[in-house]
Amino acid sequence: MKLFLIAALVSIASWSSHAAEVIPPKPGGYFNDYADVVSKEAALRFDEQLAQFERETSNQVVVAVFPKMQSESDMADYTQRVAQAWGVGQKDRRNGAVLFVFVQDHKMFLQVGYGLEGALPDITAFDITEHQIKPRFRANDYEGGLAAGIDSIIKAIRGEYQGSGKTVRERAGSSSGKLPFPFLIFLFVVIIFVIVPRFSRKRGYRYSGFGGPFIGGWSGGSSGGWSSGGGGGFSGFSGGGGSFGGGGAGSSW
Amino acid sequence: MKKFAIGCGGVLVILLVVALVAGLWLKGTYNNLVTLDQEVNKKWGDVQTVYQRRADLIPNLVNTVAGAANFEKSTLTEVTNARASVGQVKLDPNKAPTDAAQLEQFQQAQGQLSNALSRLLVVSERYPELRANQNFLGLQAQLEGTENRISVERNNFNGAVQNYNTVLKRFPTNFVGGMFGFQVRPFFASQQGADKAPAVNFNFGSPAPSPVPAGSP
Repeated sequence: MKLFLIAALVSIASWSSHAAEVIPPKPGGYFNDYADVVSKEAALRFDEQLAQFERETSNQVVVAVFPKMQSESDMADYTQRVAQAWGVGQKDRRNGAVLFVFVQDHKMFLQVGYGLEGALPDITAFDITEHQIKPRFRANDYEGGLAAGIDSIIKAIRGEYQGSGKTVRERAGSSSGKLPFPFLIFLFVVIIFVIVPRFSRKRGYRYSGFGGPFIGGWSGGSSGGWSSGGGGGFSGFSGGGGSFGGGGAGSSW
Repeated sequence: MKKFAIGCGGVLVILLVVALVAGLWLKGTYNNLVTLDQEVNKKWGDVQTVYQRRADLIPNLVNTVAGAANFEKSTLTEVTNARASVGQVKLDPNKAPTDAAQLEQFQQAQGQLSNALSRLLVVSERYPELRANQNFLGLQAQLEGTENRISVERNNFNGAVQNYNTVLKRFPTNFVGGMFGFQVRPFFASQQGADKAPAVNFNFGSPAPSPVPAGSP
């Protein structure tokens, strides 16, 4: 009983200590406006722009606009840990970049993954935050500032890597939606020798010809249905497991 | 007689099995230690790389700043000297140090350079022509970036050392470690007095910097 009381007291005491740091959960999209500073149309436009950029180049660029920074730590240190936790960028190429904006704190930081430090060195990152985004933010034009920032980032790192035509999420979705190939063969065999004879009373080559267009239509329809179901539910951002070395720069406005 | 032979044979088999199991365990433990040790060395290499990056930025910075009219020579000299003393503390970049005193020496030299650099940056705030100089601003961004990188790599290194030390010190791995000469590795400790901001002495007796020409931002 005593032990329970002590344990309860300790947990209450730790609860009431000052606000601990919060690492935000992984973002659902490429463009995440948690502070509602841009219009819905603009947010969708940016999100698709960045998703398309990943398909073309495999670089994962994420924008996260927060009302406030939930940490007592230095902005560079905190944003590096958040970007690392989110795993932005492909695991082997480490080509992620995250633009953090803290609206009420009037601060922003562009975190650059290991693999993009050549194309987006600190000077360029600083140039983007200081000269492209900051003047527009100062004039309260968040949409314009973010648009300029995204365009500059894309311009800087395009050409560094080749993409596969699919985002990480799309690749995961399509591979889980498709049936494995050996299973399809098995299904095909089953259909020919079990199901088709039920439709044809006559033996001989006739029933395989009869079954042909029917099977093609059926299995084509079924695999098409499966993968489109998978693709539709998998829009959005999935981190590739990239890591961050502390490169990048930030500005305050 | 036969029973005795079977008994001996049985004991032999049991002993063989025990030896095999022990051997496999030894192999696994040793290999694990080697892997962790290599990880520590790799992270040490990363730490050296970012510190070197900072050292390489210094000459450029010093030249840019020296170009500014009437910049306080003492601050510049301090940076140049600190950089020179950093170059003198030579540690093997491929093998993490096993001697805590050596690491301490290395840290102190780097810490001196950090202090000299932050003093330089604080003093340069007084010079509007520097603050408007694109070159200088770029270098400042690079230096800040390098400090961030140093911080990240030191943390990664400390993490790797902690993994290695924990496994090494545990029972019964510590026997294997002792047998093959694996040593506990030192950490990067936070600097003495890191919680105090570096002192900046403004020399109020020296001539004021040149007045800002009309028309500049």
